[in-house]
Amino acid sequence: MAQARTTSSTSRTGDAGGARIGSAARVRGRIHGDGDLVVEGQVEGDLAIRGELTIAEGASVASESIEAQSVVVAGTLEGDVAATGTVRLVAGARVRGNLKGSAVSIEEGARFSGRLDCEFDLPAELGGASPRGEARGRAAQRR
Amino acid sequence: MASTVIGAGITVEGEITTDEDVVVAGTVRGKLSAKESVTIEHGATVEADVAGGSLVVAGSLTGNVTANERVDLQAGARVIGNVKAARVTIADGAQFKGNVDMDV
Amino acid sequence: MAAHPSVIGRTTRVRGRITGEVDLDVQGFVDGEIAVGGDVTIDTQGMVGGGVRGRRLVIRGAVKGDLHGEEAIALEDGARVVGDVRAPRVAIAPGALVRGFVETGEGSGAEARTARAQPAARPAAAPPRVAPPAAKVHAGPAPSKPAEKAAPAAHASAGNNAATPAGPRRPPPPVVPALKKAKGQIAKKKER
Repeated sequence: MAQARTTSSTSRTGDAGGARIGSAARVRGRIHGDGDLVVEGQVEGDLAIRGELTIAEGASVASESIEAQSVVVAGTLEGDVAATGTVRLVAGARVRGNLKGSAVSIEEGARFSGRLDCEFDLPAELGGASPRGEARGRAAQRR
Repeated sequence: MASTVIGAGITVEGEITTDEDVVVAGTVRGKLSAKESVTIEHGATVEADVAGGSLVVAGSLTGNVTANERVDLQAGARVIGNVKAARVTIADGAQFKGNVDMDV
Repeated sequence: MAAHPSVIGRTTRVRGRITGEVDLDVQGFVDGEIAVGGDVTIDTQGMVGGGVRGRRLVIRGAVKGDLHGEEAIALEDGARVVGDVRAPRVAIAPGALVRGFVETGEGSGAEARTARAQPAARPAAAPPRVAPPAAKVHAGPAPSKPAEKAAPAAHASAGNNAATPAGPRRPPPPVVPALKKAKGQIAKKKER
């Protein structure tokens, strides 16, 4: 599934529209590539995609590492998520893991347990960035 | 004008400073200083030094009071502490114990 | 609760602790802890340099401290929170920024932390792997309260590897053997 028809040597999830794992499918293994990915079935394994990852209602993903541009979860997710963009949990989602993204939103009705790590600074009166944030900020500057 | 209200059930332990009016109906222990008016309502308990533009006290206040303009102790007020203000009035029925300094 | 909320005005700064059976609206700066029985609103310009505890919390400003809502917590656009967020219901709107542990559901609190701290201990709680259906480790005493959720998952998914977060954070073992922590689950894999 991680390889759509393509002429390039890299695995691609398909240039047009991305890939979908249907509700009856179960995948065990790593999935990576460009494009979006919609999971309606069950996936166990790491995901590294360069598009948007959608975990549909009824779907479940268990992973040690999920990387995507943006993530929308309506189903079940267990594992850490690192998105360059936004991470959104809609009502009905059940998520356990650490979420990192430019912005994370959790609709009321979503169940979540884990860490959120957004990049931002507190106002100066509250000490500016948190110690963690400070370190990250310094690192970011170095970059 | 926006004001700070410390409601009847609330307790603040610490220092309060503000540029606005303050109304205290609850409990304040520590220090209170406002640029504008301070009202200590009946039923309030203030154990603090209070500084303000002007003060109206109808509740219980233990501490020293300094006001730029005036301090009014109303009937029902119980104040223990020194009061320093340009003008001070103590209504009939107010209880007060302390020095009054109107030398400004 | 009080008919009118207590208000910490915009230019007011409180250094200390605020408690009481009241609703509280913070527009200024509270450099200390807030623990009230009513609802707490931290307005857009409000700032709190300590924990906030109340029945329902609505955060639109900045908080450096843990948030604990007896009923619910809503972080709205503009909120900036560094600290843990725990309440039976939690909503985080787009634009709200958080850095900390977030937990929804009843019993969010010490329980969950214990569970997190010792994921390895979990299997001891449940019958050793295998038999129990539902994915994770056990359908039983889920640490964070989706307990009722774990039960249906248990029935519905005999042998089905629904990755319900009913256990501590342990993804089932992918083919990759690198996942040492999931030894027991390899047996489960087999039974399928």
